[in-house]
Amino acid sequence: MQALAELKEQIRQALPDLDVVIGWQQGFDALHTRPLFIRSEEDIDKLVVNEFCVVNPASYLRELRGGKKVGLVLKGCDSRSVIELLQEDLLKEEDLTIFGFGCNGILNHTKLQARFGELGFIQSIENDGANVTVVVGDNKETVPFTELCADKCLTCVYPNTLQCSHFVGEESTKKPESEKNKALEEFEKLSLEERFAFWQDQMRRCIRCYACRNACPMCVCKDHCIANSREPKWLSEEVDVQNNFMFQLIHVMHLTGRCVECGECERACPMDIPIMLLRRKMAGVIRDVFAYNAGTNAEDTPPLMCFKVEEPTIEERH
Amino acid sequence: MSGSSGLLAEGQDLRIVGFLCNWCSYGGADTAGVARFEQPTDLRVIRVPCSGRIDPLFIARALMSGADGVLVSGCHPRDCHYAEGNFYARRRFEMLKQFLSVTGIDPERFHYTWVSASEGQRWQDVVTSFTERIHKLGPAPKMSGGTGYDEECLKEIAAAVSCGEQCPCHKEKA
Amino acid sequence: MACKFISNEDITLWLEALAKDHVVFVPVDDCGSVTFRPLAEGRKPVLDRVPVRSPKEAVFPQNETLLLYKYEKDLEDPEHSTVRIKETLPKERAVVFGTRPCGARGMTVFDRVFDNERIRDPYYATRRENTLFITLACNKVESTCFCHEVGSGPADTAGSDVLLTPVQGGYTAEAVTERGGQMLEASVFADGGNKCAEAEEVKKATREMLGEAHDYSDAPEKLLAVFDDDEFWEEQAAGCISCGACTYLCPTCYCFNITDEATGTTGKRLRTWDTCMSFQYTLEGSGHNPRSTKAKRLKNRVNHKFSYYPDTYEKNIACCGCGRCIKSCPASVDIRAIVKAAQARGAKKESK
Repeated sequence: MQALAELKEQIRQALPDLDVVIGWQQGFDALHTRPLFIRSEEDIDKLVVNEFCVVNPASYLRELRGGKKVGLVLKGCDSRSVIELLQEDLLKEEDLTIFGFGCNGILNHTKLQARFGELGFIQSIENDGANVTVVVGDNKETVPFTELCADKCLTCVYPNTLQCSHFVGEESTKKPESEKNKALEEFEKLSLEERFAFWQDQMRRCIRCYACRNACPMCVCKDHCIANSREPKWLSEEVDVQNNFMFQLIHVMHLTGRCVECGECERACPMDIPIMLLRRKMAGVIRDVFAYNAGTNAEDTPPLMCFKVEEPTIEERH
Repeated sequence: MSGSSGLLAEGQDLRIVGFLCNWCSYGGADTAGVARFEQPTDLRVIRVPCSGRIDPLFIARALMSGADGVLVSGCHPRDCHYAEGNFYARRRFEMLKQFLSVTGIDPERFHYTWVSASEGQRWQDVVTSFTERIHKLGPAPKMSGGTGYDEECLKEIAAAVSCGEQCPCHKEKA
Repeated sequence: MACKFISNEDITLWLEALAKDHVVFVPVDDCGSVTFRPLAEGRKPVLDRVPVRSPKEAVFPQNETLLLYKYEKDLEDPEHSTVRIKETLPKERAVVFGTRPCGARGMTVFDRVFDNERIRDPYYATRRENTLFITLACNKVESTCFCHEVGSGPADTAGSDVLLTPVQGGYTAEAVTERGGQMLEASVFADGGNKCAEAEEVKKATREMLGEAHDYSDAPEKLLAVFDDDEFWEEQAAGCISCGACTYLCPTCYCFNITDEATGTTGKRLRTWDTCMSFQYTLEGSGHNPRSTKAKRLKNRVNHKFSYYPDTYEKNIACCGCGRCIKSCPASVDIRAIVKAAQARGAKKESK
């Protein structure tokens, strides 16, 4: 990012008034970044902003609630989770300082792996915005960015950080490739039986590590999730298809009208189970029925926290 | 016993779970009983204080745990004993109803409606038509199988692996 | 060591023969991720990728039924009931094919805990005895590989029965155990001849790719020196999201939970994997939790692998260096970096 120096300068100036600023730093190899928690001046230089900044820093907010002054470097999609948390009164606006920028999309490790094999064998990777050039062994291949980027980037209409206190560089003019998520459209062409069989097959692979839940910025129950409760007992300790899928339903239901489709759940899944299909479907239902997009306006009330006496968009039940 | 299906012997029950609010629909079912209206016997009723108490996860859990259908009934909108419980409930149920198809569970297996305490006749209609619908759909498919390596799972795993190339994630890549 | 040779084509024949009286676990492409699954018709083993899940599952499954029980009411005296219990010891014989040396070495970490002079876990021990490990030496290394730093290597034989090394046209095979030797008597194996020298070259080349090994031998003391350094651990754990991906995918993590899962009057006693990353892991009945923060939990995981375990079991590190916890971590937490940082910080403390 060209404006990185400017961003660092903004953080440097804001830091004395903040407890921590969350951003990204280089990870264990060129393809990975990891979250950076800036507490002192010398941490600022570790900051990186690039197409591997996949983690949503807003996921760490639930741990920092309670009067801490927190700065966040956020992509457009990440900033929606903050707005949603503000809407639900789970955060206070005066505690937050948001550093925004124009995002041109992030790469998806699962897609990279499907295309080039084990990520640890990739020697170099270069992204010019339109194309990505990858070197593995003696092979050098150039692939359009759209084939390797995260799914959410293909339908992204918020490439610029929303509601930020500081904005660096130029606004992104990136336009969505399509209006709807292709994978979900394809999936919905299947029959009910095929869909059921699909989940049956996918849930068999789940190891119930709860990475999907813990990576979710909206999962604010944290250590007190009903999935771990023994009384009432929602789930058995047994890791089987039925319990695994029930957990996914718990997650989706608790995110109804709250999910900002940041995709962290699916990205975090070590088994690469396409659980965003479920979240995207639910977010689509919310859009269809309530014309509501989660996390875009802090003044909104989430649709399941209010009602209308006459619901013009819900068919009368007899 | 009304409804019948080719899959089921005459008189065979399916498992339908009913969540009824205490003030209207449970009373309505009672009224139907007192009036000796004939009803199918598939329904197992769970009485809850208000339709607003029904977490959509109750319904999801019932469907995941082997129910062939779930019927939810509360007071008519504007008629809630707690004034607005069913208004919130209506939104939740509608979300679940429209979401269900993506899981492969037939949304027709879940129905929500409103029956007041005086509507014995209406209760009979609701429960009869829903039971008929579920009998037409037949027993629900069950999510089953383990993920571990214990003996009982091996066959299922092998079967799933052999059909693995048919799953959409593979189709997408091809 | 005697070395034999098997061609690429004959591998399939060999596996099919083994599948006649064993459950044969092979790495397969399971909807995009490579996992160990029983050999099925038309399913090709994937040998050029490292399976996401570790081979420990063959011996230590995520769910294990320890016993079945049933309550029976005494009809004469309804206040009393009796319970009938049926033990369920595993019977099947299994072969794990195509695990990497790191994964097989992981089993030795289990062995010291589950089957020693004082304790013999019958479920674990039975499965371990009935399971053979056919290991594949590595000819490539990933950015997350560090087996050479924890006392292992890309051709380590610890925990294996047979070691295969990829060479031109197939694999050389060496018996590690007596049982492994018997397996190599199958007719699909030819004499290794000059392939054996080639295999040695492959092993050497791979070891060289890994480069110099960092020395973790003083990690136990250094980690203890920073035990009370909350600031250090909070910094290290800042990015951790406290999920169980690292522990569940780890070939050496052996913590488990035991619960009774009942339906009506019948039920089963279940042993399932547990993870020290979870809040519930140390939650006490009183409501008190000695490891209430993720920093304390991550400290436990790192210390267990690099300090407590080596202290208990003759300096053996409870980590096989496979890198799964790093590679699959949603937040790219790197255990190598944490231990190194602790070593540096511990040294600084000591010198003060």
